[in-house]
Amino acid sequence: MRQVNVNVHQVTRVEGHGNIVLNAKNGHIEELRWEVTESPRLFEAMLRGRYYEDVPYIASRICGICSIAHSTASIQATEAAFGIQPSEQTLLLRKLLYNAEILESHILHVLFLAAPDFLGVGSVFPLVETHKDVVVMALRLKKLAYNLAETLAGRKTHPISCVVGGFAKLPDLGELEALRKRLEDALVDLDTTVELFKTLSIPDFVRETEYIALKDPKEYAFISGQIASTDAGIGPLSNYLEVTNEFCVPYSTAKYTKNKRDSYMVGALARFNNNYDQLLPRAKGVAKELGLSAPSHNPFMITVAQVVEAVHAAEDSLNIIDQILARGLVEEDNRVKVRAGRGIGAVEAPRGILFHDYTYDENGVLTEANCIIPTNQNHNNIQKDMEALVPLILSRPQDEIAHTLEMLVRAYDPCISCSTHLLKVSFK
Amino acid sequence: MQENSVLIVDDEPIVRESIRDWLKDAGYQVATAETGEEALEMIEKQDFSVMVLDIRLPGQTGITVLKEVKAQRPWIKSIIITAYPSAETTAEATRLGAIDYLIKPVAPDDLERLIQETLDSVGREPTVTTEVEIRPKPPVVEVVEVKKSLVITKDSLRFMVESLAKEMEVVGVKSRHGKYVYDRISSFEELCLDYDVTVMPPTKYLLPARETLLKFKAGDESKIEPVTDASPRAIVGIHPYDIKAIELLDEVFMTSNPDPNYIARRQNTIIIGVDCLNPSPKSFAPSMGTHLTETGFDLLLTDIGADYVITVGSEKGAELLTKCAQVREPTGDEIAKQKEVRDEALTKYKLSLEVPRERLPKLLEDSYDDPYWESRSSSCLSCGSCVMVCPTCFCFDVKDEVALNLKAGERLRQWDGCVLVDFAKVATGENFRHDKASRFRHRIYRKGKYILERYGKFGCVGCGRCATACLADNASLLEAFNAIAESARIKEAAMRIIKEVRPETELYAPRPAELVKIKELTPGEKVFEFRLKDGKALGHWPGQFVEVSVMGIGEAPISISSSPTIDGTFQLAIRNVGDVTNALHNLEKGATVGIRGPFGNGFPLEALEGKDVLFIAGGIGLFPLRSLIQYTLDHRSSYGRAILLFGARSPAERLFLDELAAWSQSPDIEFHETVDRGDETWQGNVGVITTLIPKVQIDPGKTIAVVVGPPIMYRFVIGELKKRDIPDENIILSLERRMKCGVGKCGHCQINGVYVCQEGPVFTLAQLRNLREAV
Amino acid sequence: MKPKVAFFDFTGCEGCQLDALNLEGEELIDLLNAVDIVNFREVKTEREDNYDIAFIEGSISRESEISRLQKIRDQAKVIVALGTCACIGGINCLKNHLPMEEALRIVYGEDAKNYDTIPARPADAVVPVDYYVRGCPPITAELIKVIKALLLGKKPDIPNYPVCVECKMAGNVCVFERGMTCLGPVVRAGCNAICVTSGRHCWGCRGLVDDPNIDSEKDILQKYGLTVEQVVEKFKIYNTYAEVTK
Repeated sequence: MRQVNVNVHQVTRVEGHGNIVLNAKNGHIEELRWEVTESPRLFEAMLRGRYYEDVPYIASRICGICSIAHSTASIQATEAAFGIQPSEQTLLLRKLLYNAEILESHILHVLFLAAPDFLGVGSVFPLVETHKDVVVMALRLKKLAYNLAETLAGRKTHPISCVVGGFAKLPDLGELEALRKRLEDALVDLDTTVELFKTLSIPDFVRETEYIALKDPKEYAFISGQIASTDAGIGPLSNYLEVTNEFCVPYSTAKYTKNKRDSYMVGALARFNNNYDQLLPRAKGVAKELGLSAPSHNPFMITVAQVVEAVHAAEDSLNIIDQILARGLVEEDNRVKVRAGRGIGAVEAPRGILFHDYTYDENGVLTEANCIIPTNQNHNNIQKDMEALVPLILSRPQDEIAHTLEMLVRAYDPCISCSTHLLKVSFK
Repeated sequence: MQENSVLIVDDEPIVRESIRDWLKDAGYQVATAETGEEALEMIEKQDFSVMVLDIRLPGQTGITVLKEVKAQRPWIKSIIITAYPSAETTAEATRLGAIDYLIKPVAPDDLERLIQETLDSVGREPTVTTEVEIRPKPPVVEVVEVKKSLVITKDSLRFMVESLAKEMEVVGVKSRHGKYVYDRISSFEELCLDYDVTVMPPTKYLLPARETLLKFKAGDESKIEPVTDASPRAIVGIHPYDIKAIELLDEVFMTSNPDPNYIARRQNTIIIGVDCLNPSPKSFAPSMGTHLTETGFDLLLTDIGADYVITVGSEKGAELLTKCAQVREPTGDEIAKQKEVRDEALTKYKLSLEVPRERLPKLLEDSYDDPYWESRSSSCLSCGSCVMVCPTCFCFDVKDEVALNLKAGERLRQWDGCVLVDFAKVATGENFRHDKASRFRHRIYRKGKYILERYGKFGCVGCGRCATACLADNASLLEAFNAIAESARIKEAAMRIIKEVRPETELYAPRPAELVKIKELTPGEKVFEFRLKDGKALGHWPGQFVEVSVMGIGEAPISISSSPTIDGTFQLAIRNVGDVTNALHNLEKGATVGIRGPFGNGFPLEALEGKDVLFIAGGIGLFPLRSLIQYTLDHRSSYGRAILLFGARSPAERLFLDELAAWSQSPDIEFHETVDRGDETWQGNVGVITTLIPKVQIDPGKTIAVVVGPPIMYRFVIGELKKRDIPDENIILSLERRMKCGVGKCGHCQINGVYVCQEGPVFTLAQLRNLREAV
Repeated sequence: MKPKVAFFDFTGCEGCQLDALNLEGEELIDLLNAVDIVNFREVKTEREDNYDIAFIEGSISRESEISRLQKIRDQAKVIVALGTCACIGGINCLKNHLPMEEALRIVYGEDAKNYDTIPARPADAVVPVDYYVRGCPPITAELIKVIKALLLGKKPDIPNYPVCVECKMAGNVCVFERGMTCLGPVVRAGCNAICVTSGRHCWGCRGLVDDPNIDSEKDILQKYGLTVEQVVEKFKIYNTYAEVTK
């Protein structure tokens, strides 16, 4: 009689707190749960009654890794509520800032959080001895992304200069030029990363599900577009509640979602599957080299899709900087006229589609807020993936089962502490 | 003032001219005057370092001229020359402050040597004498006579600025967020030459917010290296009040204890000023005499409409014009226009002092207890804005930073301010200016009195930045001065002399010393014996202190505990209270530390000779006093009776047990001891140290008491000593404050107008009666 | 013997820990040469529980977190509160203004009974804390400064003067002169006034100086156009726990 008891308390190398529980006897699964145990932070209490100027500042602090995503979604929701159209210059700067976060977040995950599993170590620290160049390169890429964000918004974690209506301070063109040079060097570093990934063996596990992402006709969407689903086609942002369908489960402080199937996936692979055609040429080349083609149904390939997107972000940043240097930067009038209204801002956070839905009163004070976090939308899919994966690996040693399940969770690059915060609420 | 500028006053042409030629060849700037009246006129318009004056002049006599000069320009050093030396005239001249007199015919090299000595000597006289009352100057617009003034077109100016930009960094005034700031200029168009005031003053380029003083390496190749920055820079657009501020900083940082970092920047900076024609609404520069300037710049521009009048102020400026600009002689109209725009600017000032500025020191002296300080400072945030934006503020803090590998690091200095809460706090936690009102008052006194008395120039140039920057609306110096305006006498000021200590390049760099012996006195106190690695003696006097460095941790002031009569080594007894002392306590024999100093004035050994000396030591007050006790015992015959009273808190806290035992047995010294509270083993006196004083016989006419201990002890001991009729001049105390640089610059050790590292740490009670913050 | 260092996360956005890794290659190597990172859940799998120095990120907002922190205090020789949530309670304290049950009910409906939450508080409300690295997020250089100070055996040199000092050193034009309001005059410096330099104002994330003149700051804010309620709201964002909003 074989008993398998896996109890991974607080999975390591992920953002936030979650447990994996598996109890099986003689090949029969008695319990299998992906438990999210993060403390509820009750963010709606923090946004309640706030003047619009403070809303993106607080919303950014939902998450330390994707603060730019929350900040941008919050700003866009507020601008939609007030009927403000950002200028072309502002949009260019926002996209560039956003690329900094995509690059940083993906590099962090790919090289610091996920790669150790493939290289047989528990963290990046031993790699300082064995793969020093790779570690130095990874830090260099991260630093570049940080510096790019600093030039645009003062700081990468919880950015400062991006505000409703535009930017409170414009970046220095000289600094952008210097960053441009470093981005060119970064493409070389990313090539090295690709070469490294070619040597790693990604587990081969396939489970088709629904993939949801933003889709924009003009470009590979990160901060604009409408909701696209591989099952249901394209729909407007205002449909987001019908698409996400949040519900509670007793063993999780995060809510779950589903749409056309039992669960769906968001994130790099979902974006890749929906928008592959719009990737920039270099990124497409990298996808091919790494054996990733659309559509891919292997969740372990999320990490590879992140490598592809990192290359895309670097390439796109070079294009945007060239545009900015050509047209120059002009001080614009950022003054905001508040009005009562409701607006939805949607962005593709590194981990997937993120919605902020705000309602303001005529004084510019927030009265109602709802946010759907990407990792929220993945929890159900993780659960379903586990249910499909475990039977395939149940005969392996217990340690290996535990490790494989951890790797599965890590592949999603979950950002758990965000996902327990934002829920619908209204205040009088 | 122009360095090396001499005025020769003699009615005989041959004397005048021969001396003039000789001095010019020797490199001095020389001017001559034939009569006393002419001399006084020239002194009004120009500043000189030295005046060579014939006593016998037609019209105004030499003595009268000397009197006038003393009143108006007391810092000019005068040398009398006379063919007819008489006792009365020479005595009178000396009383009026003449340095020396020479008998005609004067040997020119003698005269030159005397002038050089005079210029080299460090303030043997106070820069502001207080025997002669300073007469307030009448508030008249001073007609500025143009020294080499030319005219430059805007295009030519542009060319000059752009040429400069090719060779060095050019900074100038630019607009930002509706205000004006100094920043790098990348094109001539960015430059604003018609602005009211900048947010931050241009002095930030000479004394930057942060700069490295030393780099050091630890480990086998340990070394300490002074670092200076000599990158060339031109600053364009400085207003006269800021130029005056730079002149004050030059005096502070370049004359006594020359500061290598400041000097490197200053010597490589070109100053291009511009007349202020549209003053800020908070400026009161004319009241401070700073709305115009004839000195302190390389070039100065006045906007006369189509073009600029450009005045040459130095060789550097002349060279620059010759190299990079096309200039021409001005027409009479243009000179008149320059005067006209300056006069018109003068009418635009909205604010002024209600008393002549020369009376400020007196007014402040009499207002120390005015309730104004408490009430006005209640809304102060101690936010530091007023001192940060001030062009004449220069107090700084010094910190160590190390790299993460702990092997290398830097010692940095950064701006600090006396209004910030922790400015006067020491390692034990005591804060000598802990309440807001005292900090508030100190800043006003510094600006209106202490700086003037020490350097001969006011500490405020009337720019108005502090009034603008203060959110609580109470930092305005003008309002403070005007608010306490009332008549008072100038009290006798203490001698304010900055002591020369070390050659320029090593001012902040410590010398290595080896730790040769450690002895534990109590669990928290040890005595360390050091020898300087270069083998030289420390060369100290009892009562002085050194600054001890553990590189990477920092530097701390420690009194010297051993007498200089001990050869080769010196001892520091140290209590473990802070970071540096903690690091010292963890050292082992053979370790190396850095030593700077000795600093401070030491105990007045001459005054003690022949007298009975009553030593009173409270607790670790014994540390500095021990050096004096050892010294007197080594020179026993020079002194009368020697009595030592020592008090510790408890028997376990007694210090130097072997020496206490020796002193109690010695016939050379009368020894009494007490503890605040005893224990089972203690057989001796129990009670605070004041209980010992009634037990000793003292002849008040012959006894000098030397007292060192914690601040709380002083009040009570002084009370007991006064009961025994010991006069104030014969009670000597050593005071503690937060010492940092040791050379009278960083500002932390101030007690009112006095620097503890310079005029102290040893003071007589008579001196302290005038220092209100002292005890 | 290299000191053993551990990072623990409580209730927070984990941005502080992330920024701790914002180092150049050489700096990371120097850091790993200076200390042993034995416990850092977000970045490494292996863990040891005999650490000397514990960095605490996040505020305490659940019963279970109280005992967890107490266990860490029993083990660690030195506890450093990392980031504003751990130092002064941070943004999480904003929810303290709502009665707890109501907040939960609003958020989770009938499932509210499954979730426990208590008013958020800083680490030193639960255990004694030795050092603080403040800021939302904290400055990586200040974290490194504290580590260096611990290695050298000296007190870290953290300013006790307001942000205004650093704002002037940076050459900024005061935001009060540009139509904004700011908490800088009562907030502890150490951040180089980064928010003002980046075009905004100071929100107070580093907490108040030791002896702030709050009344004067409130008067100034009102003088520059805020109502009493607006002044209170301004302080609430970061200083709810400091109770200056009373």
